[in-house]
Amino acid sequence: MRQRRRQMLGWALVALLVWLIVYPLTLVLLESVRGADGWTTEFFRQFASRKNEWSALWGSLWISAASVFLAGTIGIPLAFLFARFDFPGRRILSGLVALPAVLPPLVGVIAFLFLYGESGFVSHLVRAVFRLDRPPWRLEGAGAILLVHAYSMYVYFYLFTRAGLARVDGSLLEAAASLGAGRWRTTREVVLPLLRPALTGAALLTFMTSLASFSAPYIFGGGFRVMTTQIVSTRLNGDYSLAMVETAALAALALIGFWVFGRGDRGDVLVATAKGAAPIARRFSSRWTRALTGTAAWVLAVVLLLPHLTLVLVSFVPVGTWTIEAIPPEYSVQNYVALVREPERLRPLLNSLGMATVATLAAVALALAAGILIVRQRVRARGVIETLLALPWAVPGTVFAIAIATAFSVSHPWAGRFLLVGTFWILPLAYLVRSLPITGRGIVAGFRQLDPSLEEAAATLGAGAWRTLVRVTLPLLRPALAAAATLAFVTALGDFVTSIVLYTYDTRPISLEILASLRQSDVGVAAAYGVFLMLASAVVFAVGGERREVGA
Amino acid sequence: MRFNLLHVRTVQLHRGLTTMLVLAAALGFSAGCGGDGREPLLVYTPHGRDQLQLLEQAFEAQEPGIDLRWLDMGSQEILDRLRFERQNTQADVWFGGPSTIFDRGIEDSLLVPYRPAWAGAVGPEGIAPGDLYYPAYRTPAVIAYNNTALSADEVPHDWDEVLDGQWAGKILIRDPMASGTMRAIWGLIIQRSLRITGDTAAAMDWLRRLDAHTKTYTLNPAILVEKLSRQEGLLTVWGLQDILFFRSQGAPFGYVFPRSGTVVIEDAVGLVRGARHPEAAKRFIDFVGSREAQLLAARGVFRLPARHDLPLDSVPDWVSEVEQNMIVAPMDWEMLAREGPGWMSYWDQRVRGTGKTLDADPR
Repeated sequence: MRQRRRQMLGWALVALLVWLIVYPLTLVLLESVRGADGWTTEFFRQFASRKNEWSALWGSLWISAASVFLAGTIGIPLAFLFARFDFPGRRILSGLVALPAVLPPLVGVIAFLFLYGESGFVSHLVRAVFRLDRPPWRLEGAGAILLVHAYSMYVYFYLFTRAGLARVDGSLLEAAASLGAGRWRTTREVVLPLLRPALTGAALLTFMTSLASFSAPYIFGGGFRVMTTQIVSTRLNGDYSLAMVETAALAALALIGFWVFGRGDRGDVLVATAKGAAPIARRFSSRWTRALTGTAAWVLAVVLLLPHLTLVLVSFVPVGTWTIEAIPPEYSVQNYVALVREPERLRPLLNSLGMATVATLAAVALALAAGILIVRQRVRARGVIETLLALPWAVPGTVFAIAIATAFSVSHPWAGRFLLVGTFWILPLAYLVRSLPITGRGIVAGFRQLDPSLEEAAATLGAGAWRTLVRVTLPLLRPALAAAATLAFVTALGDFVTSIVLYTYDTRPISLEILASLRQSDVGVAAAYGVFLMLASAVVFAVGGERREVGA
Repeated sequence: MRFNLLHVRTVQLHRGLTTMLVLAAALGFSAGCGGDGREPLLVYTPHGRDQLQLLEQAFEAQEPGIDLRWLDMGSQEILDRLRFERQNTQADVWFGGPSTIFDRGIEDSLLVPYRPAWAGAVGPEGIAPGDLYYPAYRTPAVIAYNNTALSADEVPHDWDEVLDGQWAGKILIRDPMASGTMRAIWGLIIQRSLRITGDTAAAMDWLRRLDAHTKTYTLNPAILVEKLSRQEGLLTVWGLQDILFFRSQGAPFGYVFPRSGTVVIEDAVGLVRGARHPEAAKRFIDFVGSREAQLLAARGVFRLPARHDLPLDSVPDWVSEVEQNMIVAPMDWEMLAREGPGWMSYWDQRVRGTGKTLDADPR
């Protein structure tokens, strides 16, 4: 009987996700097979016959694969370094390293331009040092996109790996050591297998995020084609049907990625802890190594902070004063004054905070339910649930926003369609759905690393399901919860692709203020908003990070 | 361990409280505005904040019973919204964007006819058949340059001079797939070729040579402005209003009108089908084309009035200068609407990025 109820709950969750994700998407994707008179495959044939469509698809694919590789190469060693070794400044630095996640989209990417662009700081520096008479490089094309991706996405690997490492029981490592395994062998044969869910989760997230990435190719793409910008161009050309075919192709690519990265850890429960805690960070024995690691870590932190610092600097530059000089010739607080002069400008910030909070809470609750059903209850629908959770990022934000708006623009309760367009709820709903991949992946991976015997013990001791969840499961899941919730919150806070299609007069989000300023080329004001956004995100990160430390 | 758990719960409680406070504040703010008894009028617009604030103030002073609310977004997003809100219309007025995008809105029956009070003072270009939209402003395309690096007599004074070898690698182009202004310029070049040779081949060849000289295509207009003022490129073709607006903000920009004539994009305004406040909407449309509002936009944010009956002594100097120097080239807008997507798609597939190979070709 219990078994039956469990399966029912599983299918209920599937139904909910289908209603929120698949149903709206189907409504708009149908446009790809609907011609002037009846069904047609014409647009698919058009797509297949065009060389530039294939090159955009290929561009998206290889950029995403390379982003996974680069982000992993940076993020995983960093996580090990900060989790396992002790050196001067480790605590502060481990927080700073996560900061790329708080760089707001669009205006954050523009900060890259001021920093590494043709006439940016670094370029000027290199020119001055080597006495070059022309810029040493151009920040454009695939290389530039990869730079931005690697920078902003290694955080997924870093956070997921750290959350994973925090759950690795020190006694396992000691056991391996006492059995004669060296440090390298222990890492390879004990730690990495335990980290597998975290790593595949991060890889998947990076892959999906790169596929859906818009800001970087939009600003640095030059002539380089990826599918997200291609879809925007096609829509602007009025070829809605073809744009939907392109969307379907991108979604197919994402599903393939999901299958590749998601293979292997499906359904495993990796028992990582029985008792005891994570191993204590080790101090380097040699003073020199310690000093060297410390210095290297600080240099790294400065490099990672450069875009943030650039953004802050730009926010103090009055419009139109900085052209060919190496550094801005004038500074003033006029951008900030412009921003607080009217109380109207404060509202978007509050709106964004409110909507991101609602969306994150709901997304975490949904992901928790999914985690319990997939890992603990092992319901039959678990594979379907996982695929559905990952789906929203397979679709570019604009198309998703239009899909949600189409589904919820009429009141047909019997068809599962309710009137949400023009109300407060449409944007939090869109944020919620868009953040499901992050929260879902992170929390499900967290569950996989959780030893069920603790929950069983609680049950044996007479704790009910609710009590076990609140007193045992949630505290143990805290690192994963914090990481997932933080990322979801920050993403919702900075979102602009979905927001611009769905916002209403009363729910104008801060990203719209940034866009409005950029449209007038008020980069300074946009940067000032970006700084606000960054501070808000950093506070959330600090709260999340603090609790993660408690958990470790 | 017990203590720890307790501590965590307190933290969670605190966080929960903070969250609720933030939420309450946000909701309170949203609820706080609006209910002041005025009739809310919702306008979808791609125009900039400065212009909208200027017009809002003047309009609300004139119509104390109406609360003008604008949602600013790109022209494409306006079209998207109007399409999916068809069964539950939110907007009252669609204000701004090239008439070519309004034409796409007409195909989807998103507009209803309204003949503004100032209908007789504009046109005939830019007026939709059946009064579905009217032109509020005109945006001529110009050749723009960085005026610290170049002087006015050095720069090209006609389209063909842009292809001169000295500009190779110095031209910036806003991605024409993503911009109505650029599409119109491309359309001008192609129609010129059609008129002279009866074929688009010459135009595509012309555009291929331009591609060879183009340093980069920027998707984002803010980046174009940034690059041009930092001399990462020296020359571009672009809408006059932006150039004048950014110049007034301190950007080192100059412009010339092409000698053989340029394309003028009509920036339209129309009444949305199913608008909930049609009377207020009509008042706003009447206001936009009124002499007062046209002059306001011209003086404040460099919008070239669509009206041609403004007394010469009342318009700002730049307007009379433009009216004197601007030569308008013939343009078949219907043909552009019909053939444009095909031309653009051909250009995107067969011309973009192929200019470099042309240079290597000894032909």
